[in-house]
Amino acid sequence: MSPVDTAAGWKSAANVPVALHEPLARLLLSLADNKRLLGMRYSEWILGAPTLEAGIACSAMAQDEWGHGRILYAMLKDFDRDPGQLEHERGSDEYLSSELLDTAPGEWPVLLALNALLDTALSVQCQALSESRYTPLHYKMGKLLDEERFHFEHARGWTGRLADTDAGRAALAETYRAALAPCLRWFGRSDGELWTALTEEGVIDGDPDAQRERWIERVGPLLDEVAIKRPSPAGADLDWDGWDEARRRTGSGGPDADTLARVRGDKNRSMLMD
Amino acid sequence: MGRLSGEKLYEIFARQKREDRFEHIGTVQAPSASLARVYAWQTYDEANWFEMIVAPRDAFEPVNRDESPFTLHPSEVA
Repeated sequence: MSPVDTAAGWKSAANVPVALHEPLARLLLSLADNKRLLGMRYSEWILGAPTLEAGIACSAMAQDEWGHGRILYAMLKDFDRDPGQLEHERGSDEYLSSELLDTAPGEWPVLLALNALLDTALSVQCQALSESRYTPLHYKMGKLLDEERFHFEHARGWTGRLADTDAGRAALAETYRAALAPCLRWFGRSDGELWTALTEEGVIDGDPDAQRERWIERVGPLLDEVAIKRPSPAGADLDWDGWDEARRRTGSGGPDADTLARVRGDKNRSMLMD
Repeated sequence: MGRLSGEKLYEIFARQKREDRFEHIGTVQAPSASLARVYAWQTYDEANWFEMIVAPRDAFEPVNRDESPFTLHPSEVA
Protein backbone atom coordinates (compact mmCIF):
# COMPACT_ATOMS: atom_id res chain seq x y z
CA MET A 1 0.00 0.00 0.00
CA SER A 2 1.41 3.41 -0.88
CA PRO A 3 1.75 6.01 1.89
CA VAL A 4 -1.64 7.29 2.91
CA ASP A 5 -2.86 10.51 1.36
CA THR A 6 -4.19 12.00 4.57
CA ALA A 7 -5.93 14.84 2.73
CA ALA A 8 -8.00 12.32 0.76
CA GLY A 9 -8.38 9.89 3.68
CA TRP A 10 -11.44 9.38 5.83
CA LYS A 11 -10.97 11.63 8.85
CA SER A 12 -13.93 10.23 10.75
CA ALA A 13 -16.70 7.65 10.52
CA ALA A 14 -18.85 10.29 8.82
CA ASN A 15 -16.57 9.99 5.77
CA VAL A 16 -16.55 6.17 5.79
CA PRO A 17 -19.06 4.42 3.50
CA VAL A 18 -21.92 3.12 5.63
CA ALA A 19 -21.37 -0.44 4.43
CA LEU A 20 -17.94 -0.38 6.07
CA HIS A 21 -19.06 0.88 9.48
CA GLU A 22 -19.86 -2.52 10.89
CA PRO A 23 -16.73 -4.34 9.62
CA LEU A 24 -14.43 -1.49 10.66
CA ALA A 25 -16.00 -1.19 14.12
CA ARG A 26 -15.71 -4.95 14.54
CA LEU A 27 -12.05 -4.81 13.57
CA LEU A 28 -11.37 -2.08 16.15
CA LEU A 29 -13.26 -3.98 18.84
CA SER A 30 -11.43 -7.20 18.06
CA LEU A 31 -8.05 -5.51 18.43
CA ALA A 32 -9.17 -3.69 21.58
CA ASP A 33 -10.51 -6.85 23.26
CA ASN A 34 -7.44 -8.89 22.43
CA LYS A 35 -5.12 -6.18 23.69
CA ARG A 36 -7.11 -5.65 26.88
CA LEU A 37 -7.02 -9.37 27.68
CA LEU A 38 -3.42 -9.85 26.59
CA GLY A 39 -2.44 -7.03 28.93
CA MET A 40 -4.16 -8.86 31.74
CA ARG A 41 -2.28 -12.06 30.90
CA TYR A 42 1.02 -10.18 31.03
CA SER A 43 0.03 -8.63 34.35
CA GLU A 44 -0.51 -12.07 35.86
CA TRP A 45 3.24 -12.67 35.53
CA ILE A 46 4.46 -9.42 37.08
CA LEU A 47 5.05 -11.42 40.23
CA GLY A 48 6.36 -14.91 39.69
CA ALA A 49 8.24 -14.38 36.44
CA PRO A 50 11.58 -16.22 36.33
CA THR A 51 13.57 -13.04 37.03
CA LEU A 52 12.84 -9.64 38.51
CA GLU A 53 13.61 -8.03 35.14
CA ALA A 54 11.18 -10.34 33.34
CA GLY A 55 8.49 -9.36 35.87
CA ILE A 56 9.14 -5.67 35.20
CA ALA A 57 8.98 -6.38 31.46
CA CYS A 58 5.58 -8.04 31.96
CA SER A 59 4.41 -4.99 33.85
CA ALA A 60 5.55 -2.69 31.03
CA MET A 61 3.97 -4.88 28.36
CA ALA A 62 0.71 -5.04 30.33
CA GLN A 63 0.60 -1.25 30.54
CA ASP A 64 1.34 -0.95 26.83
CA GLU A 65 -1.47 -3.34 25.91
CA TRP A 66 -3.98 -1.65 28.21
CA GLY A 67 -3.03 1.70 26.73
CA HIS A 68 -3.51 0.40 23.21
CA GLY A 69 -6.82 -1.18 24.21
CA ARG A 70 -8.03 2.06 25.73
CA ILE A 71 -7.17 4.02 22.56
CA LEU A 72 -8.97 1.47 20.38
CA TYR A 73 -12.10 1.38 22.58
CA ALA A 74 -12.18 5.18 22.51
CA MET A 75 -12.02 5.17 18.70
CA LEU A 76 -15.28 3.22 18.65
CA LYS A 77 -17.09 6.32 19.85
CA ASP A 78 -16.71 7.58 16.28
CA PHE A 79 -18.96 4.67 15.24
CA ASP A 80 -21.63 5.48 17.85
CA ARG A 81 -20.49 2.76 20.24
CA ASP A 82 -20.26 3.54 23.94
CA PRO A 83 -16.69 2.78 25.09
CA GLY A 84 -17.81 2.59 28.74
CA GLN A 85 -20.37 -0.08 27.94
CA LEU A 86 -17.88 -1.98 25.79
CA GLU A 87 -15.21 -1.92 28.47
CA HIS A 88 -17.35 -2.69 31.50
CA GLU A 89 -20.72 -4.18 30.69
CA ARG A 90 -20.39 -7.01 28.22
CA GLY A 91 -20.83 -10.72 28.80
CA SER A 92 -18.11 -13.25 28.07
CA ASP A 93 -19.69 -14.37 24.79
CA GLU A 94 -19.63 -10.79 23.50
CA TYR A 95 -15.84 -10.50 23.63
CA LEU A 96 -14.09 -10.69 20.27
CA SER A 97 -10.98 -12.24 21.80
CA SER A 98 -8.84 -15.19 20.81
CA GLU A 99 -9.55 -18.48 22.53
CA LEU A 100 -5.89 -18.40 23.62
CA LEU A 101 -6.82 -15.65 26.08
CA ASP A 102 -9.80 -17.38 27.74
CA THR A 103 -7.83 -18.65 30.73
CA ALA A 104 -4.76 -17.52 32.64
CA PRO A 105 -1.41 -18.86 31.39
CA GLY A 106 -0.35 -21.08 34.27
CA GLU A 107 3.20 -21.66 33.06
CA TRP A 108 5.84 -19.27 31.74
CA PRO A 109 6.11 -21.05 28.34
CA VAL A 110 2.35 -20.54 27.87
CA LEU A 111 2.77 -16.80 28.42
CA LEU A 112 5.73 -16.81 26.03
CA ALA A 113 3.49 -18.38 23.34
CA LEU A 114 1.09 -15.44 23.79
CA ASN A 115 4.02 -13.02 23.74
CA ALA A 116 5.77 -14.54 20.71
CA LEU A 117 2.83 -15.60 18.55
CA LEU A 118 -0.41 -13.84 19.48
CA ASP A 119 1.09 -10.46 20.38
CA THR A 120 3.00 -10.55 17.08
CA ALA A 121 -0.19 -11.40 15.19
CA LEU A 122 -1.85 -8.31 16.69
CA SER A 123 1.18 -6.22 15.70
CA VAL A 124 1.18 -7.55 12.14
CA GLN A 125 -2.44 -6.48 11.84
CA CYS A 126 -1.71 -3.08 13.40
CA GLN A 127 1.13 -2.66 10.90
CA ALA A 128 -1.37 -3.42 8.12
CA LEU A 129 -3.48 -0.51 9.45
CA SER A 130 -0.63 1.98 9.69
CA GLU A 131 -1.30 3.43 6.22
CA SER A 132 -5.07 3.05 6.53
CA ARG A 133 -7.40 5.21 4.52
CA TYR A 134 -9.30 5.68 7.81
CA THR A 135 -6.78 8.23 9.03
CA PRO A 136 -7.46 8.02 12.80
CA LEU A 137 -5.91 4.53 12.61
CA HIS A 138 -2.97 5.79 10.59
CA TYR A 139 -2.19 8.39 13.27
CA LYS A 140 -2.45 5.96 16.22
CA MET A 141 -0.41 3.04 14.93
CA GLY A 142 3.07 4.59 14.89
CA LYS A 143 3.61 4.90 18.65
CA LEU A 144 1.80 1.65 19.28
CA LEU A 145 4.11 -0.24 16.93
CA ASP A 146 7.18 1.43 18.47
CA GLU A 147 6.21 -0.05 21.83
CA GLU A 148 5.42 -3.43 20.33
CA ARG A 149 8.96 -3.71 18.96
CA PHE A 150 10.18 -4.41 22.48
CA HIS A 151 7.46 -7.01 23.08
CA PHE A 152 8.80 -9.01 20.17
CA GLU A 153 12.39 -8.59 21.36
CA HIS A 154 11.30 -9.94 24.74
CA ALA A 155 9.76 -12.98 23.08
CA ARG A 156 12.80 -13.51 20.90
CA GLY A 157 15.21 -13.24 23.83
CA TRP A 158 13.27 -15.70 25.97
CA THR A 159 12.74 -18.13 23.11
CA GLY A 160 16.48 -18.22 22.53
CA ARG A 161 17.16 -18.63 26.19
CA LEU A 162 14.77 -21.54 26.79
CA ALA A 163 15.65 -23.18 23.48
CA ASP A 164 19.21 -23.55 24.77
CA THR A 165 18.15 -26.51 26.93
CA ASP A 166 16.34 -29.70 25.88
CA ALA A 167 13.65 -29.26 28.54
CA GLY A 168 13.09 -25.59 27.70
CA ARG A 169 12.94 -26.25 23.97
CA ALA A 170 10.44 -29.08 24.48
CA ALA A 171 8.23 -26.93 26.74
CA LEU A 172 8.21 -24.06 24.24
CA ALA A 173 7.61 -26.37 21.29
CA GLU A 174 4.51 -27.68 23.02
CA THR A 175 3.00 -24.28 23.80
CA TYR A 176 4.00 -22.70 20.48
CA ARG A 177 2.53 -25.65 18.58
CA ALA A 178 -0.76 -25.30 20.52
CA ALA A 179 -0.98 -21.57 19.74
CA LEU A 180 -0.06 -21.87 16.07
CA ALA A 181 -3.44 -22.71 14.50
CA PRO A 182 -5.48 -20.22 16.60
CA CYS A 183 -3.06 -17.45 15.57
CA LEU A 184 -3.14 -18.43 11.89
CA ARG A 185 -6.95 -18.54 11.91
CA TRP A 186 -7.16 -15.22 13.76
CA PHE A 187 -6.30 -13.38 10.53
CA GLY A 188 -9.54 -14.77 9.10
CA ARG A 189 -10.75 -16.77 6.14
CA SER A 190 -9.13 -15.76 2.87
CA ASP A 191 -12.51 -14.95 1.36
CA GLY A 192 -14.19 -13.53 4.49
CA GLU A 193 -16.55 -10.64 3.79
CA LEU A 194 -15.06 -8.53 6.57
CA TRP A 195 -11.60 -8.63 5.00
CA THR A 196 -12.57 -8.39 1.37
CA ALA A 197 -14.35 -5.06 1.87
CA LEU A 198 -11.73 -3.57 4.20
CA THR A 199 -8.84 -4.59 1.95
CA GLU A 200 -10.46 -3.39 -1.25
CA GLU A 201 -11.28 -0.01 0.25
CA GLY A 202 -7.75 0.56 1.57
CA VAL A 203 -8.63 0.35 5.25
CA ILE A 204 -6.21 -2.53 5.74
CA ASP A 205 -3.15 -3.47 3.73
CA GLY A 206 -3.29 -7.07 2.62
CA ASP A 207 -5.81 -9.88 2.71
CA PRO A 208 -5.68 -12.54 5.45
CA ASP A 209 -3.26 -14.76 3.51
CA ALA A 210 -0.89 -11.84 2.97
CA GLN A 211 -1.01 -10.97 6.67
CA ARG A 212 -0.43 -14.61 7.62
CA GLU A 213 2.60 -14.62 5.36
CA ARG A 214 4.03 -11.52 7.09
CA TRP A 215 3.36 -13.09 10.48
CA ILE A 216 5.13 -16.33 9.52
CA GLU A 217 8.09 -14.32 8.26
CA ARG A 218 8.26 -12.51 11.63
CA VAL A 219 7.79 -15.51 13.95
CA GLY A 220 9.53 -18.02 11.66
CA PRO A 221 12.96 -17.69 13.30
CA LEU A 222 11.37 -18.35 16.70
CA LEU A 223 9.58 -21.45 15.37
CA ASP A 224 12.89 -22.60 13.89
CA GLU A 225 14.52 -22.35 17.32
CA VAL A 226 12.05 -24.82 18.80
CA ALA A 227 12.09 -27.06 15.70
CA ILE A 228 8.53 -26.32 14.56
CA LYS A 229 8.05 -26.44 10.81
CA ARG A 230 6.91 -23.09 9.41
CA PRO A 231 3.23 -23.41 8.45
CA SER A 232 1.57 -22.55 5.17
CA PRO A 233 0.04 -19.05 5.03
CA ALA A 234 -2.88 -20.27 2.93
CA GLY A 235 -6.18 -20.08 4.74
CA ALA A 236 -7.34 -23.03 2.64
CA ASP A 237 -4.87 -25.24 4.52
CA LEU A 238 -6.41 -24.51 7.93
CA ASP A 239 -9.16 -26.34 9.77
CA TRP A 240 -12.09 -23.90 10.09
CA ASP A 241 -14.42 -26.27 11.91
CA GLY A 242 -16.23 -24.28 14.63
CA TRP A 243 -14.82 -20.95 13.41
CA ASP A 244 -16.85 -17.85 14.32
CA GLU A 245 -15.97 -15.19 11.74
CA ALA A 246 -17.68 -12.40 13.69
CA ARG A 247 -15.71 -13.08 16.89
CA ARG A 248 -12.54 -14.25 15.12
CA ARG A 249 -12.23 -17.37 17.26
CA THR A 250 -13.03 -21.03 17.39
CA GLY A 251 -15.69 -22.15 19.79
CA SER A 252 -18.54 -20.36 21.48
CA GLY A 253 -16.75 -19.66 24.76
CA GLY A 254 -15.01 -16.55 25.99
CA PRO A 255 -12.97 -15.26 28.90
CA ASP A 256 -13.64 -17.33 32.05
CA ALA A 257 -15.66 -15.83 34.92
CA ASP A 258 -12.66 -14.69 36.96
CA THR A 259 -11.04 -13.10 33.92
CA LEU A 260 -14.25 -11.36 32.94
CA ALA A 261 -14.82 -9.87 36.41
CA ARG A 262 -11.30 -8.52 36.51
CA VAL A 263 -11.09 -7.29 32.95
CA ARG A 264 -14.35 -5.39 33.34
CA GLY A 265 -13.27 -4.04 36.74
CA ASP A 266 -16.47 -5.32 38.43
CA LYS A 267 -15.13 -5.32 41.99
CA ASN A 268 -13.69 -1.83 41.83
CA ARG A 269 -16.66 -0.35 40.02
CA SER A 270 -19.02 -1.68 42.69
CA MET A 271 -17.38 0.82 45.07
CA LEU A 272 -17.94 3.81 42.80
CA MET A 273 -20.74 6.20 43.71
CA ASP A 274 -22.41 8.43 41.20
CA MET B 1 16.40 -12.47 43.36
CA GLY B 2 19.75 -14.08 42.63
CA ARG B 3 21.30 -14.43 39.24
CA LEU B 4 20.31 -17.42 37.13
CA SER B 5 23.07 -19.29 35.42
CA GLY B 6 24.23 -17.59 32.26
CA GLU B 7 23.00 -14.17 33.36
CA LYS B 8 25.24 -11.13 33.25
CA LEU B 9 24.98 -7.68 34.69
CA TYR B 10 24.57 -4.92 32.15
CA GLU B 11 25.26 -1.25 32.82
CA ILE B 12 22.79 1.22 31.32
CA PHE B 13 23.57 4.72 30.10
CA ALA B 14 21.15 7.22 28.65
CA ARG B 15 20.72 10.85 27.63
CA GLN B 16 17.61 12.92 27.21
CA LYS B 17 18.90 15.22 24.48
CA ARG B 18 21.43 14.74 21.70
CA GLU B 19 23.65 17.45 23.22
CA ASP B 20 23.61 15.83 26.69
CA ARG B 21 26.35 13.58 27.97
CA PHE B 22 25.38 10.01 28.72
CA GLU B 23 24.59 9.37 32.37
CA HIS B 24 24.80 6.04 34.11
CA ILE B 25 21.19 5.31 35.09
CA GLY B 26 21.26 1.75 36.43
CA THR B 27 21.80 -1.93 35.79
CA VAL B 28 19.83 -4.98 34.71
CA GLN B 29 20.74 -8.62 34.69
CA ALA B 30 20.02 -10.57 31.55
CA PRO B 31 21.15 -13.70 29.70
CA SER B 32 21.84 -11.83 26.46
CA ALA B 33 22.44 -8.36 25.13
CA SER B 34 19.11 -8.45 23.31
CA LEU B 35 17.13 -9.11 26.48
CA ALA B 36 19.27 -6.56 28.33
CA ARG B 37 18.12 -3.95 25.79
CA VAL B 38 14.46 -4.87 26.39
CA TYR B 39 14.81 -4.87 30.18
CA ALA B 40 16.72 -1.59 30.18
CA TRP B 41 14.12 0.19 28.04
CA GLN B 42 11.17 -1.17 29.97
CA THR B 43 12.66 -0.70 33.44
CA TYR B 44 14.19 2.77 33.16
CA ASP B 45 11.27 4.49 31.48
CA GLU B 46 11.13 7.49 33.80
CA ALA B 47 12.27 9.87 31.05
CA ASN B 48 11.67 10.33 27.38
CA TRP B 49 15.19 9.22 26.45
CA PHE B 50 16.78 10.41 23.24
CA GLU B 51 19.26 7.53 23.40
CA MET B 52 19.93 4.58 25.66
CA ILE B 53 22.79 2.09 25.47
CA VAL B 54 23.78 -0.99 27.46
CA ALA B 55 27.09 -2.79 27.96
CA PRO B 56 27.99 -5.87 29.97
CA ARG B 57 29.67 -4.89 33.23
CA ASP B 58 32.56 -7.26 32.52
CA ALA B 59 33.41 -5.22 29.43
CA PHE B 60 34.66 -2.38 31.66
CA GLU B 61 38.34 -2.24 32.55
CA PRO B 62 39.34 -0.91 35.98
CA VAL B 63 41.72 2.03 35.75
CA ASN B 64 43.08 2.86 39.17
CA ARG B 65 42.39 -0.35 41.08
CA ASP B 66 43.47 -3.87 40.32
CA GLU B 67 40.26 -5.30 41.69
CA SER B 68 37.51 -2.75 41.35
CA PRO B 69 34.21 -3.34 43.16
CA PHE B 70 32.56 -2.11 39.98
CA THR B 71 33.63 -5.31 38.23
CA LEU B 72 32.00 -7.45 40.91
CA HIS B 73 28.38 -8.32 41.41
CA PRO B 74 27.05 -6.62 44.59
CA SER B 75 26.44 -10.02 46.18
CA GLU B 76 30.15 -10.77 45.76
CA VAL B 77 31.30 -7.60 47.55
CA ALA B 78 32.06 -8.18 51.24
